[in-house]
Amino acid sequence: MALLRVSRKALPLFIAACWLGGFGLPGMARAQGAVSEYDVKAAFLFNFTKFVEWPPAAFADEHSLLKICVLGEDPFGKPLRELATGEVGGRRLTLKYLENLSHLESCHVLFVCRSERDRLPRILVDLHTAPVLTVGDTPGFTDQGGMINFILEGTKVRFDVNQEAAERAGLKISSRLLALAKHVKGRP
Amino acid sequence: MPLRNVPIRRKLMLIALLTTAGTLLIAGAALILFNVLRFKEEMVADLTSLADVVARNSTAVLSFGDPGSAADTLRSLSARKPIVAAALYDKNGKLFARYRQGAEVKFPARPGNAGSASIPGGLVVFHPVMLKGARIGTVYLRSDLSELTARIRVQALAVGAVFLISGLAAVFLSSGLQRLVSEPVLDLSQTAKAVSEKQDYSLRAEKRGNDELGQLVDTFNQMLGQIQQRDSALQEAKEELEQRVDERTRELARRNEELHQSNKELDDFAYIASHDLKEPLRGIHNFSNFLLEDYADKLDDDGRSKLETLMRLTRRMETLIDSLLQFSRLGRVDLAMDRVDLNAIVAEALESLAITLQEEKVEIRLPRPLPTVRADRVRVGEIFANLIVNAVKYNDKPQKWIEIGALQNGSQAGGKAPVFYVRDNGIGIPEKHYDAVFRIFKRLHSRDKFGGGTGAGLTIVKKIVERHQGRIWLESTPGEGTTFYFTLQEET
Repeated sequence: MALLRVSRKALPLFIAACWLGGFGLPGMARAQGAVSEYDVKAAFLFNFTKFVEWPPAAFADEHSLLKICVLGEDPFGKPLRELATGEVGGRRLTLKYLENLSHLESCHVLFVCRSERDRLPRILVDLHTAPVLTVGDTPGFTDQGGMINFILEGTKVRFDVNQEAAERAGLKISSRLLALAKHVKGRP
Repeated sequence: MPLRNVPIRRKLMLIALLTTAGTLLIAGAALILFNVLRFKEEMVADLTSLADVVARNSTAVLSFGDPGSAADTLRSLSARKPIVAAALYDKNGKLFARYRQGAEVKFPARPGNAGSASIPGGLVVFHPVMLKGARIGTVYLRSDLSELTARIRVQALAVGAVFLISGLAAVFLSSGLQRLVSEPVLDLSQTAKAVSEKQDYSLRAEKRGNDELGQLVDTFNQMLGQIQQRDSALQEAKEELEQRVDERTRELARRNEELHQSNKELDDFAYIASHDLKEPLRGIHNFSNFLLEDYADKLDDDGRSKLETLMRLTRRMETLIDSLLQFSRLGRVDLAMDRVDLNAIVAEALESLAITLQEEKVEIRLPRPLPTVRADRVRVGEIFANLIVNAVKYNDKPQKWIEIGALQNGSQAGGKAPVFYVRDNGIGIPEKHYDAVFRIFKRLHSRDKFGGGTGAGLTIVKKIVERHQGRIWLESTPGEGTTFYFTLQEET
C-alpha cells in the first residue's frame, strides 16, 4: 500500500515514473515535460525495494524499518522524502542522508551520489558482502561492484544490474526487475 | 389430414415417436445448457488464472513504466487462441499496454471492477495487479466464445445423433409394439364392419388378452350374441306370422268362395222360386176373374167382395214376386259399365216421375251440376228413381222438397270416391231402423199408409250400389227429413 499512501503532491512524480519512456499517448508529453529526471529516479529507487529480497539477518525483526540512505549531495530533494514516508511489504520506510562513510552497513538501500564518485571504491570495499542494495548514478558503477546503476537512454531513464554483486551480498533481485534492466552483469 | 383422422396404428407410432423426441429434446437441451454453464465457469476460472499470471508478470513493467516490455508480455498471449484482447491499466486506471488479435476490438477507457463479466460474444475479466500488498494496476483480458461455440456444436451434433438413432429405434420398436393395441381394435372394427355389411350376427371378434380391449371384445361378442338371439327370434316370429297369414288368406279365400257359391245358389233359388211361383199365381188370378165374371149373379155381395179381395191379393203377390225377380236378377247379370253423365240420368228419372211430382207439388233442388262417372246407366237411373219415389212417398209436409247433389269434396267418408246424396224434408227415420229400411219387403208402416209399396225399393238400391263396389248409408232426423248417401265406386 506504499504507493497509495503517497501524498497528493507526489502525484506528478508518479505519473512520470510510470509513463516516462515515450509511451505514445497524447497527454504524456505534457506530463513528461513537467517531471525531472531525478523525480523519475526517485520513483525507481523507491520501487526497487519492492523487487529485492533481503536476507532475514538484514532486519532485527519483522517490524524493523527499511532504511534508505542517500550518500553525498542529494539530487532528489522533496519528492524522495515524500515517497519515503510510505511502507513496502509491511515495513515502514525511513530515509537517511549520510555525510560520511560510517554505518553504511546499517542501510538497506544505499544511493551513492555522483559527488561520491571518487570515494566509490572505498565505499564498495567497506560494504563488501553486507546486505545493502547499492544504487548509483555514475557511469561504470556496476563494473566497480555496484548493484544497480541509472543510465539515460535519450531522455528515458533505465538501469543496469550487477547480479553477481547482489548475490554476493545475499540479495535476491526479482527476475521481473532483471527483465527490465538494460544490461545484467553476471547473467548466465 | 387432421390428427384425429389418422389411423390408430400411425397414432400409436406417433405417440411413441413424439414422446421419445420430446423427452430427448428436453434432456438434450438440459445437457447442453448444463455443459454450457459449466464450461463458462471453467472459462471464467481459466481466464481469471491467466489474468493472475499476467498480473504477476506485469508488476515490474508497471513499477518501472516500461510499456514496451508490457506489450511483449501481453503479446505472449497470442498463443492462447480465445484471447482476443488484453490490456494493462496502471494504478490510476490509464491504459498502459495493450494487445489485440485483429483491429476491431475496442478497449475500455477505464478498468472495470475486478471480476468477470459476460459481454456479447465474449467474456471479459479485470484482475488487479498487486505488489507487496499494494494495487499497482489492472489486467484486462477478453476472450471470445469460439471454444464454447465449438463445444456446443459438438454436443449438439452428439445430441442430434442420439436423437436420430433414438427416433429410428422408437419407430422400429413402436411399429412392432403398437400391434398390441391396434390389432385388437382393428380386428374389432373389422368384425363390426363385417357384421354390419353381411347382417351376420354369428360372427365373433377374436379376444387376445384380458385387458380393457379384451373386455371390450367380450362385451361386443356378448352384444352380438344377444342380437343374434333376438334376430333369430324375430325371424321365427316373422315366419310364423307369414305362415299364419297364408293360412288365413287361404281360409278367407275358401270362405269367400263358399259365400259366393251360396250367394249364387240363393240368387238362383230366388229366381227359380219366384219364376215358378208366378204361373200358379196367374192361374189363381185368372180363375178368380172367371169366377167373378161368369158367376157374378150367383154370388151375393159378400161373395163378390171376397173374390175381389182374393184378386187384389194375387195382384199384390205378383208385384212382390216381380220385385223379388228384379232383385235376384241384379245379382245374376253383369253390369254394363260406361261413362255416365249423372245430370242426364237424374233428369230422366225426374221426367219419368213428372206426374207424381206435379201432383204432390214437390220442389226439386239441384244446387250444382253432378259429375260424370263410370257406372251402369240403367241401374244408376233405378237408384235415383227409387230414392226420389221414397222421398216423395214418405213426406207429410205441405211444402215438399227434394235435394239431389254430390258432396263438394266427396269426403264425408274420408275416401276420394264422390259421395252423392238425395235429401228430403219428409217424416224421417228413427235411428234404430237405419239398417231395417234396407231389408227386403221390410216396411216400417202399415201397407196402406204412405201409398203402399212392396218394400223392395231400398233393398234394390242397396244391391245396385254394392254391385258398383259402393256403399249406401243414411242420416235422418225424425219429423224433419232424411238424407241417403251413396258412392258408386270402391272407397280407398
